[in-house]
Amino acid sequence: MPRRQTKRLLQILLATLIAGLVSLWVISKFSITYSLYVPNNFSEYLHIALFFISLTLAYMITYSAIEVDSPSLLMIMAITEAGLEGLDKKELEQKMSDEILIKPRFEDIIIHRMSYLEGHKYKLTRKGSFIAKIFIFYRKILNLGKGG
Amino acid sequence: MLLNYLQVINSVIGLIVNMLVQVISLRYISNLGLLKSVYVGAVTGLVSVCTVETYISMSMFQSLNKFSATLIANFIIYMSLCYCYFHFINLGETARRIRILREIYDSEEGLSMTEILERYNAKEIFEKRINRLLNNGQIVDKNGKYYIGNPVMLLIAKVIVTMKIFLIGKKCECECE
Repeated sequence: MPRRQTKRLLQILLATLIAGLVSLWVISKFSITYSLYVPNNFSEYLHIALFFISLTLAYMITYSAIEVDSPSLLMIMAITEAGLEGLDKKELEQKMSDEILIKPRFEDIIIHRMSYLEGHKYKLTRKGSFIAKIFIFYRKILNLGKGG
Repeated sequence: MLLNYLQVINSVIGLIVNMLVQVISLRYISNLGLLKSVYVGAVTGLVSVCTVETYISMSMFQSLNKFSATLIANFIIYMSLCYCYFHFINLGETARRIRILREIYDSEEGLSMTEILERYNAKEIFEKRINRLLNNGQIVDKNGKYYIGNPVMLLIAKVIVTMKIFLIGKKCECECE
C-alpha cells in the first residue's frame, strides 16, 4: 500500500470524476444516448460533480478514520477479549501505552509532511501550521478547549 | 438560469445554515452540549434544503418527478456534507494528530518528543476515553474491573473491525502486513 494513502485515494477519485464527466459530455455530443439520461447544460454537470465530490469526501473521511486505531475501539476490544472475567483498570491502562496511542499518530504527521525535525525539536511545516490554525480558529468559535 | 444554479448549490447553502445554527446554538443555549448542537444544526440545515428546493421547483413550474429527483440528489449531497462537518468537529474534539499539531504550534521553538509526551500522552487519552465510555454506559466498572455495558457498542466495534479488514486488510495498525 502507498505510504500516503489518502492522497493517492484522492487522486484516483478525482481522475474518476474527470473521466466520468468527459464520458458524459462525449455521449451527449455524439447523440449515442439511447435511453440513457445525459446532462444538457453546465449546471447539471456541476450538480453531478458536487454529488460525486460530497460522496468522495465522506468516503475519504471514513477511510482515514478506519485506517487508524481509535483508542476507544482498542479499549472496547481489549475488554471484550477479557470476556466474563472482566479487565482490570491497571491492566487496561498498561495496554494503552504511548507506543500504541501516540507514536503511530506522530509518524502519520511526519509521513504527511506536517512536521519536521530540526535539531532535536519537531516543528510544523506550512501545511501542518495551516491545519493547526484551522482547528484552533474553529474551536475558538465553538468556545471549546484543546480536545484530543 | 439563476434558479438552476441555486438548485445546484442548495445543499451547500443547507450546510452553511447548519454550521451557523450549530455554532450559535452551542454558544448561546446553555447545557445544550456539542453533540446535540450538531443535531440541531443538521435538522435546521435539512429544513433549509427542503424549503429552498420547494421554492425553486414552484418558481420553475417543475414536474413532480423532476422535483423529487433533485430533492433526493440534494438530500444525499447535504447528508454527505453534514457527515463531513460532523467529522471535522469530531477531529478537533478527539483526533490525536490534531492535538499533537496544536501542541507543537503553541510552542514557538518547537518541541522534542519528550516535551510532546509531557503535554499529551497515553495516560491523558486513557483517562478521557475511559470516563467517556463509563459515562455513556458503554462499559461498566464492577469492583475495579471493566465489562462491556452496552452490546450495541460491541456491535459497532465489530463492524469497524470488519471494515478495517475489508479496507486495509488487517484488524489493527499493530498487526504486521
